[in-house]
Amino acid sequence: MSLCQSIDTLAMAFLDDELVAEERRELELHLLSCESCRQHVEGERADLSLIRKALVAPPAPGALRVSIQRALDAEDLDAARAVRRRSITFVGRWLLPGAATLAAAAAIAVFAFVPPPEVAPATTTVAREAVRQQGLSLPLEVQGASTAPWLRQHFAPISPPVFTEPNVELLGARLTAIAGHDAALLKYGVAVGNNRFTLSAVVIDSLREGELEGGQPIKIGDRTLHVHDADGVPAVTYVDESGPPGSRIGYTFACQRLSAHELIELVVSSDLITRVQQGR
Amino acid sequence: MLAVREKRAEFERQALVHTDALFGAAYRLTRNARDAEDLVQDSLLRAYRFWDSFEQDSNCKAWLLRIVTNTFINEYQRKKRSREVLDAATAEQDAVDGVLMHADASARQTPERALLDRSVSDDVQRALDALPDDFRTAVVLCDVQGLSYKEIAEIMQTPVGTVMSRLFRGRKLLATALREFALAEGYVRNDAAPAEAGATKDAPIDLEQYRAARAAKEGSR
Repeated sequence: MSLCQSIDTLAMAFLDDELVAEERRELELHLLSCESCRQHVEGERADLSLIRKALVAPPAPGALRVSIQRALDAEDLDAARAVRRRSITFVGRWLLPGAATLAAAAAIAVFAFVPPPEVAPATTTVAREAVRQQGLSLPLEVQGASTAPWLRQHFAPISPPVFTEPNVELLGARLTAIAGHDAALLKYGVAVGNNRFTLSAVVIDSLREGELEGGQPIKIGDRTLHVHDADGVPAVTYVDESGPPGSRIGYTFACQRLSAHELIELVVSSDLITRVQQGR
Repeated sequence: MLAVREKRAEFERQALVHTDALFGAAYRLTRNARDAEDLVQDSLLRAYRFWDSFEQDSNCKAWLLRIVTNTFINEYQRKKRSREVLDAATAEQDAVDGVLMHADASARQTPERALLDRSVSDDVQRALDALPDDFRTAVVLCDVQGLSYKEIAEIMQTPVGTVMSRLFRGRKLLATALREFALAEGYVRNDAAPAEAGATKDAPIDLEQYRAARAAKEGSR
């Protein structure tokens, strides 16, 4: 097979830089002596340059970059939710019905309540008192669907945090006082498989600056949550400062059955982080 | 949360830097900016979902282009076909409306507008439109993206010989169309010679075959 016979293939591979060194040398030598093949290669070279020049494409529009970032954000959020579902299911596996519950509870206490090293103790009086009250079995003053309107009438113009997880629902609330502040104690029922446990939240009205500080800060977007270890029980606090000065609202979440990490995931899934403080 | 953030940072560092390149390929594959944007976004989202399956240290751009190409072949072609059916229906309606609309439409068709409608870039898109999908894909991957025959063969899941013949025929069709448009627009003079001289018409485009024949000749010496 002479080089002239294969010139279509060779010219193309030559111009695309796909020939091995020996083949390239052989062709280059041939081109020195073969006018027809040389013309062919030059013609192909001109065509290729015409095509490549014509096909130069515009850069990606800025709007596309923005919408890609948005799509990735949504994907991350889904992934975080999936992780949370998995971790809650994981806790659920340790919860056994009936007589086994007590023994299992001991196992959970050892397994789930070992605080991660970065969780600082609840440092302020307000935080410690809030967590202490959440551990008490105080009776609820209102239950079910009337909880939210009742809170607005008797406590403060706020709405109880709503969780996007379908298995977390508001059970009821009662009024209380935390270190001289009006406060509301909320109870949520969390369902994991056949097991149910309670998540409690304390909402504290008119906090002064720094009153609910301490703990390990965690940035979620432009909001900061704090994770506390209240005598072995993980707690997550958040201060809503979007109202006028002197009307900060503090939130403390605690749950005996969740690890600090799981509790954070759950709080992040509530509308607290995104919503603008209502009515203020 | 931390794992998600790390994955995102890594994806942005390795994959999103190729957004321009992917858009370039998508723009030439779909032949319009809107479809190209959709195609790039869908492909990147798919890549992000399967980021774990990307072999680190391998060619990320080639991996992403494979996703763009597959997504294009699997989805956009199907979508386009269904839209063509719709377009045909719309065209029929327009033809009926056109009787009433014609005077108005021709009044709006200014010379400037007509010139814009026939820009060089339109010529390129029309030339690309005329290519079979497989030819166009091979040309885009090679001449827009600069991938090697082997990389294109992996993306298109065909032997290198098939890539070469698609590329060869695609380029011939494209070069002919581009020259014709350029001639029609007066961009080039008629004496710009087409590259046909000396080409052996029915020789197959296959480097492997050439190499095998060459090796056989060497061996028989």
